[in-house]
Amino acid sequence: MNKIIKKDQLAAVLDSIAAKYQLIAPVQDESTVLFKPGVAGKDVVLDAVNSTVSPKGAFFPQWETMYIYNTAEADFAIKYPEEGPDRVLFGIRPCDMMALLHIDPVFIGSKFGDYYYETKRNKTTIIGVSCAKVAHTCFCSTFGGSPTGNKGADIMFYDLGDKYAVEVITDKGKAVADLFSKFLVDDTGAPAEVEAKAKELASLLKPVDVTGVKEIMDGAFENPYWKELSRKCLNCGVCTFICPTCHCFDVVDEAYMCDGQRVRCWDTCMAKDFNLAAGGHNTRPTKLEKVRNRFMHKLKYHLDRYNLAGCVGCGRCSQKCPVNLDITQVISDVKAVK
Amino acid sequence: MCKCAAENPMLAYPATITKIIEETPDVKTFQMVFDDPQIQENFGNQPGQVTMISLLGHGEITISITSSPTRKGMLEFSIKKVGRVTEIVHQLEVGAKVGIRGPYGNNFPYESMKGKDLLIIGGGIGLAPVRSLIDFVLADENRADYGHVDILYGARSKADLCFKYDLFDTWPKKKDTSVYVTIDRPEEGWDGKVAFVPAYLEELNPSPANKIAVTCGPPIMIKFVLQTLAKLGWQDEQIITTLEGRMKCCIGKCGRCNVGDKFICLDGPVFNLAQIKQMPDEF
Repeated sequence: MNKIIKKDQLAAVLDSIAAKYQLIAPVQDESTVLFKPGVAGKDVVLDAVNSTVSPKGAFFPQWETMYIYNTAEADFAIKYPEEGPDRVLFGIRPCDMMALLHIDPVFIGSKFGDYYYETKRNKTTIIGVSCAKVAHTCFCSTFGGSPTGNKGADIMFYDLGDKYAVEVITDKGKAVADLFSKFLVDDTGAPAEVEAKAKELASLLKPVDVTGVKEIMDGAFENPYWKELSRKCLNCGVCTFICPTCHCFDVVDEAYMCDGQRVRCWDTCMAKDFNLAAGGHNTRPTKLEKVRNRFMHKLKYHLDRYNLAGCVGCGRCSQKCPVNLDITQVISDVKAVK
Repeated sequence: MCKCAAENPMLAYPATITKIIEETPDVKTFQMVFDDPQIQENFGNQPGQVTMISLLGHGEITISITSSPTRKGMLEFSIKKVGRVTEIVHQLEVGAKVGIRGPYGNNFPYESMKGKDLLIIGGGIGLAPVRSLIDFVLADENRADYGHVDILYGARSKADLCFKYDLFDTWPKKKDTSVYVTIDRPEEGWDGKVAFVPAYLEELNPSPANKIAVTCGPPIMIKFVLQTLAKLGWQDEQIITTLEGRMKCCIGKCGRCNVGDKFICLDGPVFNLAQIKQMPDEF
């Protein structure tokens, strides 16, 4: 952390990375900030609190071809997409890095792996960038996160106004850091500045205490609160779409004549037919079951299963919900309704 | 990317349909054999497990294996024509190519059932997953490990009875095996029992002593069977059922078949009633 990079050098730093790796980084796309592959250093945008949609798509794309086929050929001529280049994911915030660690055990299970997620994860070096500011919806500290947290990063950039303090954490990170070593400048004061910044940002986070909530949720399945809460939900699904820990997907065939592909795409437990089985049986038929399942998953089921929180406090769902259904409100409500 | 199903669990192994049995107007049993004999040999399915059957161009469906692993060299799947993909499956003929991936999920606890009498209660297509257990227990090499086997099965009508050859021919001939068949409404040409399965169960009044009950059928039948068994003094640990749910991956990732923190595909589909009572009522 004794080395820094001047902010006016950042584009050049990123271009030196992009010369060898595919660079995935946040860019402005009309009114949104999205992570995109193959971007140039000068286009990278870091002044938003966070990207509009979480960067989980770098590993679990919104829409992904699993394989293509031709049903007229022997053995269906199954072919796979190109494996893709080695990549550097730059600009991911601490909450989203924590989210990756929390969905890793879903995809990289002990019995069944996920070839697509795992391959991308292995081929990617992560450069986290600490938060320069926090939004009124940010509450990462509730789940053990911090605006300057480096968990999950191979290299960490700490935002210090006109410069970044640079911390190389893993060997994977070192290989990438070697590409921009000439931009690194000694700065023995940087660690103290990072510490001060961490304190300042942490004090600005929304204080949300999740202590005891999981234990209340254990016995709250039948609580009438869920019915009340679900009334205003529109089942639009934006919360699940932008969420860094939602991992549900659909698998569909897209075929014309004999040529086709099997793809998987993000799906949402808010959708009408999400649990609708052939024959008409629907295990979560109404808003009540859907909304309850979403919050149970975030605050209880994921913990039960993986001993990891299903929420990292990024605040995107609270920010984007059209009817202001706010998970921090749910957390405090649950404590009151017990 | 990888080139084989061994590395990528989302990829099915190619198989061929070798025989089709028309069970009812909307149920067919498909016998399938893997194209690679080694995969057939090492598939390792256990009674009660499920697979994903893949039809390229149409999609995948979760189907339980209805044949017992004691029958080597093939797998059987009894499939009801009920949705988009099963409609297509029903149009397939012998020789058609499909994909199979699996086997998935847990299995009927046939080890802990040893030395006990079994009561099998099925309704409609719900007999399909349990048939793998029946044939496993009744197989010559395993028969001595289990006590008396009672099989109670019902369907809406005579035409809707699945596995007639088993119900009326194979199973009744087996040692220490009783088969009780019923249909919902009286009809011409049927001189057997007419009753709903739970009512017939109550009438048969099976003693719970040293027995395990296994039930599968339409949700409404299961609900009343469980009530009836409780009324007859059966304990929750003695009652086993198998759940279903919409699934896309069948390997615990797509997030669809969860009941609370459990995934039917990984932690199920077989649960005993004590376990089910711990789960939220969402299946």
